[in-house]
Amino acid sequence: MITRRDFMVSGITATGVGIIVPPVFAQSVFAATMEDVHNDRVLVILQLGGGNDGLNTVVPYADPGYLQARPNIGIPSDKVLPLNAEIGLNPVMPGMKKLFDAGEVALVQGVGYPNPVYSHFEGLYIWEHADPTMQQTDGWLGKLLASQLDSQGHPLAGCALGQASTPAELLAQNATVSVIDSIPTYQVEGGAGRRVAAPALYKRTPGIYGAIFDEALSTAEYGIAALADSQSRCTPSVTYTPQSTVYGSKNSLATSLQLTAEMIVTQPSVKVCHVVLGGFDTHQDEDTRQNALLAYVDSAVSAFMQDIANHGMADRVVLMTWSEFGRRVVENGGKGTDHGAAAPIFVVGKPVQGGVFGEQPSLTSTVDSGNLKYNIDFRSVYQTLIRDWLQADPASVLGSSFPELPIIKTA
Amino acid sequence: MGSANLRLSRRQVLGIAAGGVVGAVGFRYLTLQLPGGSQQVASAAGPAGAWSSPLSNATGLAAHLLRRATFGYTADQLETAASMPYPDLVDMVLNQAAEPLPPVADPTDYQAVVRAWYEHMATTPAQFPERMTLFWHGLLTSDYRKAARLPFVLQQNELYRSMGRGDFRTLINAVTYDPLMIRYLDLEESTAAAPNENYSRELMELFTLGVGNYTETDVREGARAFSGIRTVLVDAAGKRTQPPKAKGSSPAEYAQAVEQLLAQGAAFKGVLAKNQHDSGSKTLLGHTGNLDPAQALDIILAQPSCAPHIARLALEQFCAPNPSTALITSVATPFRAGNYDIKTLMRTIFTSEAFTSPGAYRSLVRGPAEYMVASMRALARPDLAAASMRSGAGMDQILYDMPTVAGWPSNQGWVSSGAWLARLNFAAAAIASERTFPDPVDAVKVQLDGVVGPDTATVFNASEGDGDRWYALLASPEFQLK
Repeated sequence: MITRRDFMVSGITATGVGIIVPPVFAQSVFAATMEDVHNDRVLVILQLGGGNDGLNTVVPYADPGYLQARPNIGIPSDKVLPLNAEIGLNPVMPGMKKLFDAGEVALVQGVGYPNPVYSHFEGLYIWEHADPTMQQTDGWLGKLLASQLDSQGHPLAGCALGQASTPAELLAQNATVSVIDSIPTYQVEGGAGRRVAAPALYKRTPGIYGAIFDEALSTAEYGIAALADSQSRCTPSVTYTPQSTVYGSKNSLATSLQLTAEMIVTQPSVKVCHVVLGGFDTHQDEDTRQNALLAYVDSAVSAFMQDIANHGMADRVVLMTWSEFGRRVVENGGKGTDHGAAAPIFVVGKPVQGGVFGEQPSLTSTVDSGNLKYNIDFRSVYQTLIRDWLQADPASVLGSSFPELPIIKTA
Repeated sequence: MGSANLRLSRRQVLGIAAGGVVGAVGFRYLTLQLPGGSQQVASAAGPAGAWSSPLSNATGLAAHLLRRATFGYTADQLETAASMPYPDLVDMVLNQAAEPLPPVADPTDYQAVVRAWYEHMATTPAQFPERMTLFWHGLLTSDYRKAARLPFVLQQNELYRSMGRGDFRTLINAVTYDPLMIRYLDLEESTAAAPNENYSRELMELFTLGVGNYTETDVREGARAFSGIRTVLVDAAGKRTQPPKAKGSSPAEYAQAVEQLLAQGAAFKGVLAKNQHDSGSKTLLGHTGNLDPAQALDIILAQPSCAPHIARLALEQFCAPNPSTALITSVATPFRAGNYDIKTLMRTIFTSEAFTSPGAYRSLVRGPAEYMVASMRALARPDLAAASMRSGAGMDQILYDMPTVAGWPSNQGWVSSGAWLARLNFAAAAIASERTFPDPVDAVKVQLDGVVGPDTATVFNASEGDGDRWYALLASPEFQLK
């Protein structure tokens, strides 16, 4: 059963704008800002939902087996954006190429886990809970938040942005998670009376959902207050200037990442953000569909990094992509690919030690009749980000220890 | 109406423990004193922190059934329902004949279809068929995107309405040949030479058996059995004809051409294209033969895991949030023995002890569409269909646009800070445009069984007008539950 934090019963005070702000938040926000240590290290998780095809994202263009396996959807070697003599990026990813050339992308090759599963939902569960045995019930980021990052229980330490449900990665006992689709809609609508009535309806709800309901409304109530509070009380005032030109053509991921930038810039307590782009389950017409999605990823991530840099926070943000699995080496009859196994992931940001890490898995020595073998356990990436980036203890989150990767610059 | 005044009884106030573990806050009796001196006392003391269950009285049990098997009810409907012996009431609900969706102006516009469906859910007396249409939509999922500008969303919606209370074998065979499904799970281009695994995998994992009850080889062999399914357009005489060309015509012209074809009796339907189908020998789940789709489905439905899988999903939506293996088995067994008769499945659920016992009371969370339609019905406001469509996204439920092929979350999966704000803001929007309201005190009795927690009672009592009282009711935790 979820328990409420002490802060939620520690008393409330009213601010001049009529918004209830618990003192503990006001103090922590204020103190963090004054000491200029706020959100010094933020982790942004970008989930590519549906199973992104790694082979058409990072193309092993020097391997003749690649185009043999993919006569219709393979990307010719003269089209790829080469990263070295072996591999190159999908041509719709010039922004990622630029970031890679600037040394701000760690490309981790062949990421997976033993005995791969081919179900979306098992694959998701394994990545979300950092557990190939599927025994854990808490999401890895939720566990990290509740046990180490969020000792104040601030509602905005863990944010799911541009979405309406709590991602399983963030879902854990005692983890407070704000799920914010957009800031303008993240409020109690209908006037002052509703702003009083709505939270008052959810203080002592009986029944098996009582704590969960009350936690959701309390998190919303205090999150709304914190959002309003930072505008008026932070010294010096922290403002986010929308960089509409940076994001260029809008897509849902660009919108989510712009919201993420705004949250990081204006909210001192933000530590972990989750955004998602779906649609990568390209059983059919992968050439057009995946290219469109990767182009979104490329432009949105590039814009986000630029936006963060424009606000002087490039040193504070690292973004990691992941997907529940890669896809089958050999294309199917519908210009698509079926569910597969290992795939590359990107770790992006100025604090990142750029380069290619790990080996491109063999296209011929495969697992389960035609799927790529992993050579780096995904929990190695988690462990590195927890210890080297967030400066927390990975053992309590991951259970056991995994080899770390040199993907975060040492100061 | 005059001043409504709900007062907490003294016993209830005294029953509220200060602090303590959330979820066990310690009030046992949830009692409201209603105006005019009449006091409705909930029938039994629940365990500490539980809702006090009214399911031991006829009205309480009837309301419980109607909240789950339908999208809501009026005071008159509840009175009628409560006057019937419970088994007769269950049969009456199960035997409701579906009412067709009223004509949709543009059947190629999925939003128009969804809007019409919301209105229909809010207005039709045939509530159970609509609830089952939504149930199957959430289980045998498809999204609108690949329908392009063809009337496939409407057609699948009609399929689930007409076949959703028959037998599951007929339903899943029809779904396998449904044009929207053919597109959604990529059967359209699956060939003998290169079968596409998408439908085969999700059929076994999500629609019938559950993960762990088939192998990767079964996925690949199943894909061969389902190869070659294609959508064709046939005219009223059953002769194949060409769909109108989307290219070169305006959306309005195109929609008109499609409508005209449909009006003339033409229909899209799935067929097995023999020259694209892999007719060779396959081995699926231990059975070998030149399997076609119907034979593959028979093999899948003969698996012992099939009935329990569907029973579990139905129980989570209609009965209990985490059904035990024993409960699943007790529901799956007659379902399977009854040759997958869906009414048998639902009758077993609705008459089970797990459904009628006090612990079942408010043990499920209304999904967003259920919540919004229940609000529309409580307020008699079918015109909120458009608002429901807009608001669904913030609660993570857009009909025909689910987050994944596994459909939507259920129960506590619906709960997040943002989603709850969206629910409360829907209530505010629904109230904002209303000038005269049904009696809110009656609504507390009818919609909430008069079983109200201290917060709802406090906010309700502090409200100054009927709009505010209705807000307290629709935004309350009680109204989110079923």
